[in-house]
Amino acid sequence: MENTLTPLLNAANQIILGKDRQIRLAVCCLIAKGHLLIEDIPGVGKTTLSHTLARLFGLDYQRIQFTSDILPADIIGSSVFDAERHEFRFHHGPIFNQMILADEINRSTPKAQSALLEAMEEEQVTVEGQTYPLPKPFFVIATQNPSHQIGTFPLPESQLDRFLMRIELGYPNREAERALLLGKQRHKIIAELPVMLTPEQLDELQQAVTEVYVSPALLDYLQNIIDFSRQSDEFAAGLSPRGGLALLTASKAWALMEQRNAVIPEDVQAVLPAVAGHRLKAGSTDAASIVAPILENVPVV
Amino acid sequence: MNSWIPQKSLIFMLIALGLITLPHSQHLPLPLFLFFGLLWSWRFIAIWKPEWLPGKTTVFLLMLTAIGLLYSQHQGILGRAGGTSLFVIALGLKLLEIRGTRDIYLIVFLGFIVAATEFLYQQSIIMAVYIVLVCIVLLATLITINGLHAKIRPTLKKAGIIVLQAIPIAAIIFVLFPRIEAPRFKWLEAEKNQITGLSDTLEPGAISELGLSPELVFRVKFEGDIPPPAERYWRGPVFSYTDGKRWRESPNRFFKRYMDTPRFKGKAYHYTLLMEPQNKPWVFALEMPARFEAPLQRNGFYQLTTTKDPAQRAEYNITSYTQFNTGYLTKTELKDTLQLPGKPSERIVKLVKQLGGFDLKPEQFIANLFNYFRQEKFFYTLMPKKMEDNPIETFLFDRRYGFCSHYATAFVYLMRIADIPARVIGGYQGGEFNEAGNFLEVRQANAHAWTEVWLQGKGWTRFDPTTAIAPERVEQTLDIEQQIATRTLTIVPPEILHQSMDWLKRAKQILGSVDYSWQRWIINYNRASQQGIFKHLGIEDLKSIIYWLLVLVGTATLIMARFILKHKAQPVDPAVKLYHQFCQKIPDITRKPGETPYSFAARCRQAYPKHAETIDRITQLFVKIRYYPNSPKEMLEYLKKQVDHFSCT
Repeated sequence: MENTLTPLLNAANQIILGKDRQIRLAVCCLIAKGHLLIEDIPGVGKTTLSHTLARLFGLDYQRIQFTSDILPADIIGSSVFDAERHEFRFHHGPIFNQMILADEINRSTPKAQSALLEAMEEEQVTVEGQTYPLPKPFFVIATQNPSHQIGTFPLPESQLDRFLMRIELGYPNREAERALLLGKQRHKIIAELPVMLTPEQLDELQQAVTEVYVSPALLDYLQNIIDFSRQSDEFAAGLSPRGGLALLTASKAWALMEQRNAVIPEDVQAVLPAVAGHRLKAGSTDAASIVAPILENVPVV
Repeated sequence: MNSWIPQKSLIFMLIALGLITLPHSQHLPLPLFLFFGLLWSWRFIAIWKPEWLPGKTTVFLLMLTAIGLLYSQHQGILGRAGGTSLFVIALGLKLLEIRGTRDIYLIVFLGFIVAATEFLYQQSIIMAVYIVLVCIVLLATLITINGLHAKIRPTLKKAGIIVLQAIPIAAIIFVLFPRIEAPRFKWLEAEKNQITGLSDTLEPGAISELGLSPELVFRVKFEGDIPPPAERYWRGPVFSYTDGKRWRESPNRFFKRYMDTPRFKGKAYHYTLLMEPQNKPWVFALEMPARFEAPLQRNGFYQLTTTKDPAQRAEYNITSYTQFNTGYLTKTELKDTLQLPGKPSERIVKLVKQLGGFDLKPEQFIANLFNYFRQEKFFYTLMPKKMEDNPIETFLFDRRYGFCSHYATAFVYLMRIADIPARVIGGYQGGEFNEAGNFLEVRQANAHAWTEVWLQGKGWTRFDPTTAIAPERVEQTLDIEQQIATRTLTIVPPEILHQSMDWLKRAKQILGSVDYSWQRWIINYNRASQQGIFKHLGIEDLKSIIYWLLVLVGTATLIMARFILKHKAQPVDPAVKLYHQFCQKIPDITRKPGETPYSFAARCRQAYPKHAETIDRITQLFVKIRYYPNSPKEMLEYLKKQVDHFSCT
């Protein structure tokens, strides 16, 4: 683990400066087989981060720029008449790639959003009665603008739930900003990035995540968190069972990245803002303050 | 100590306190209640505008105002009203200085005391239910400060469960805890407040309107048959002496040494009489009471009185016969019941003569008089005009409108002119039957006056002149509420009443019945009834009472504990126990509930760099044992050793 992930993380940190924690969370999300949502104002490096990750993981990737007039067919593909063979042939859309960068997903209409999100959930696409499986692994990294910006269709809670994590990037600090201003153009560096993880290694990592030990004591803590989110009136709705599972998987992946074979409360607390923030309060982007009452009140030991 | 108190706790608490003091508005002086309202609203607004809270000087001035108000309204803090006001005002003032959770506890407990003071004024079941509900809200305040629950409904539910869990033990203590006839603490003693009831004088001419009230006087539960309405005469004071206007009791009340013993005939009625608080020691028994228990006494007028404080609700078991013969007449009685205020006027003597008072037998004369009332234009009214001069003659010859006491006094006056011993009896007549609870309810509006004439061979015999004018008054059920509303006498035949008994009336009866049981079994549970239960259980001395109490409360607690712990109990991990020991050994640093072992260790390392190594070792051991698979037993022992030896000093 150390050997496989450390160079990857280091390389990513060279591109996105001063965002060590967010990068770790993003990588954690991918080895936990989850889809990732990056939310922030334009220009802080959302797209750069997703490009970087796709490059480093060595996956076929395709970027889909969501606009207000994008149609489901633009994402999934459509049947086109083949004049030579006198039949309809399905043209695979950009979704048939191992990694999709769904840029500014909340600028499109709900119809187009749901085409993508259905594919994410079912890992297959059905067009005109014909089912086409999506490649494996299949990741979606979606970026979105804060919903208070003009021309956005905020994702409903039911669809936000499909993203394992939501992270925010935020402005870089002064030092990182200086380095960014002095350095090379980012897209050029990305193009030169080597692949850091083979598909086999990724597969191994994903397998290892499922084997991380979870003690009954930790499950108690996890369930206390879930119960608290449901009983406290800080939140309109508590964590769903899917949310609870997501928290467990993400905690395991985090433990693995921390080179441990058992989950400890630190792991849960580390991933909690990213996993629970968008599930508990869709409108707010400040995940840390959303989960603060949980971290403060639910007893660890 | 300035700890942060959740807004929700404050709202909960203020609402609960508002609800608790609300019923006090009925008896607290208005300025005091308004003052409390001001303090309460001030605090309520300050939840959102904390900068509006008063400073120390303002609080001091408010306190001075409060003391001034208290003294102007009560001249002190002793007595029931003064004491209650003191608590309410103190509660209001305390609201303005909430600095930490400690103050909240204090206020909540003060709130419980104020809730209890409500029972000094009112002990109805409705008030009891209300107070219990409000206490649940108050308990919820404590839960919001202490617990994880923040939502309203689970919090209230939890408070309700706590109250429910307390009920068995409360019931055991209620029944078994030795009842001490409390010495009357002056500061809680009730002032003699206005209890309405029959007066010990009767002055029909001076009343221009009969005071009617639906207020309950007593309730009667019969064992077996209930006497028919025409026989329901509840005997009260006996008026023998008159000055022509006013009628009073004869002073020879206890002159019964030479009296004949009454003989009872016919059907015996056994019943339980529950008297509401009264200001006179009179107990209204069915005519004629034959057997009764202490503290009841029968005076020379065959009236029952109690030696206990009549302001306390009390229950009596009495046996009465409606047929009786009181036997011979003593000289004192004769003198008392022939007394006249002076020489009667000529026209009245003429009337007596005309009706045969001087030559016919008394029975014949009485029959003639009844006929006279019936045939001449006499009317029954609840609103007669005042007759100040010579009321009896004015009534007999001029006005001829009157109610029961006009007829009774005129009747007795005429009897006495004819030299027949007669007297006026006050009391109640009738009573409404409560079908839900199977008992009679007698109210103030049932007040009545009738007469008694001594006849040779029959003894004292009841005559009710009102029956000559308005027989319905006696034979049928009064619709008391309508009577009070319209100030006219409306009499409803029982069968119509039965038909028109809609659900509202039915509900009223059920409520009345519940209240009756409540009064009988809960409020009226006193030392005597407790002694009865003790006798039943074979408890004789204080030692066995304590033994019973301990065993029962202990058993209830065990059952409850088992019930509660069954759901909550989790075997405590020995590692956790050791870790907590370790946490407590570190001075000045307390672990926050949401703090992970490693972040706690980081804080400790910073504070005690000398022990960094041990702190880390213990933390790591603990995490390994608690969260990692298959930790060997030796690890726990090692942890124990480490924690035992650990010391920061």
